[in-house]
Amino acid sequence: MKAQNKGKKVDVFSDNQLMEQVRDGKVEKMAILFERYHMMLFNFMLRLTGNKNISEDLVQDVFYRMLRYRHTYKGKNKFTIWMYQIARNVHIDYLRKNKNAVPLDDQWEEIHSREPAPMEHMEQEKDIQLIRQAMSRLSVKKREILILSRFQDLKYKEIAELMDCHIGTVKATVHRAIKDLGKIYGELSGGITP
Amino acid sequence: MKCNNIKDKIPDYLTGELEDSQRRSIQDHIAECLSCREELEEMTATWTRLGVLDEEQPSRDMRTKFYAMLETYKKEAEQKKTEEPRRSFGEWLSLWWPKRPAAQFALSATFLLVGLIGGFFIQSGSFQAQTAARLNEEIQSMRRTLAVSLMNQPSASERIKGINTSYDLEKPGAETIEMLLQTLNSDPNINVRLAAVDALYLFYNQPGVRDGLMNSLAQQTSPLVQVSLIDLLVDIRERKAVDAFRRLINKEELIPAVKEKAEEGIQKLSF
Repeated sequence: MKAQNKGKKVDVFSDNQLMEQVRDGKVEKMAILFERYHMMLFNFMLRLTGNKNISEDLVQDVFYRMLRYRHTYKGKNKFTIWMYQIARNVHIDYLRKNKNAVPLDDQWEEIHSREPAPMEHMEQEKDIQLIRQAMSRLSVKKREILILSRFQDLKYKEIAELMDCHIGTVKATVHRAIKDLGKIYGELSGGITP
Repeated sequence: MKCNNIKDKIPDYLTGELEDSQRRSIQDHIAECLSCREELEEMTATWTRLGVLDEEQPSRDMRTKFYAMLETYKKEAEQKKTEEPRRSFGEWLSLWWPKRPAAQFALSATFLLVGLIGGFFIQSGSFQAQTAARLNEEIQSMRRTLAVSLMNQPSASERIKGINTSYDLEKPGAETIEMLLQTLNSDPNINVRLAAVDALYLFYNQPGVRDGLMNSLAQQTSPLVQVSLIDLLVDIRERKAVDAFRRLINKEELIPAVKEKAEEGIQKLSF
């Protein structure tokens, strides 16, 4: 555990250092940051939007904006916090521009997951669909915070920093989001709250 | 620990952000309290269930597109760097002052006129609307002259200033439009051409602008200008642009990111 933490610290330092180099004109260094974070960002966008093509475009936009606004990078905070702030803005702008886009529920269906044994596959697929549907019914803020805390490897303190709110608000939102999600999931899977 | 405290700690319990002692006190509490136990179990079940949303892989295109975008961005940044060295605020301010005496005179006259009108407005409450309109027309005319004269300057930053001056024109007039289109098509500096795209966006309803923009697309070689023009033509819903996009796509030297943008544009304009 200790070794892991130590390792992480080095990573944080080098992310920041790379971004500082990008900011100071070595834009090609963004390629390293792309290799490190595009998967993470892609899955963040995918869990938010439910659509692979859209998520790929949004990730591209995140990297473009990081280049374009590289002068605003201060290097005081962890690089990923700044990156997720930009990613959130990109997602919000996408929602604004596409108010009449296909509802999230329908978009999820395009995704095909791994293929285990048929029976197991059906059950698992059903479960995945239900969770995705339930997620899509949460408010954007709850969905964002839940995804950030469950999948993106961020501490509540870091989420509070990137959302510019109090840590208590983050925890309360996670709490409410999980409760709401459980309730919606229960309704979708047969009308009984688990 | 009280029930409310337990409930507050559940998010930390789920992510493992708790110290051992806190975890133990929660476990002690739920052993006794049915309501908290149920809540924790329900929430843990939902939290665990989310695990079915495994990581997905993006397509290979994503990497290709990123590197194309980075390459374009890098080239443009280098070009910009060689053309426009960093300046201090003072230097930047001084750049706004035209170098040619004629342009200096025109700019000074504009300021003087603005000052006179402003002063007149402040002093007299019963200012005649007609006079205001006439003075406004004079300012507009002067601005048009200033814009066109700056756009003919040898320095790129002067030409950009000229373009910026045209932004404020209520009626740009044929001469300004022609000058903007000419700048867009033949200016050697990419930043000037991009500024011209922005200005023409404001005047897209003026005669000749839409056709001029479509024709210009075929002449552009910079991906940034190509992309700005595509965006503009899509934004103004110019359906005739579809043909121009198709011609662009057929160009061999076109970079993939722009090609894709043009394809996307065709799609957007087709419904």
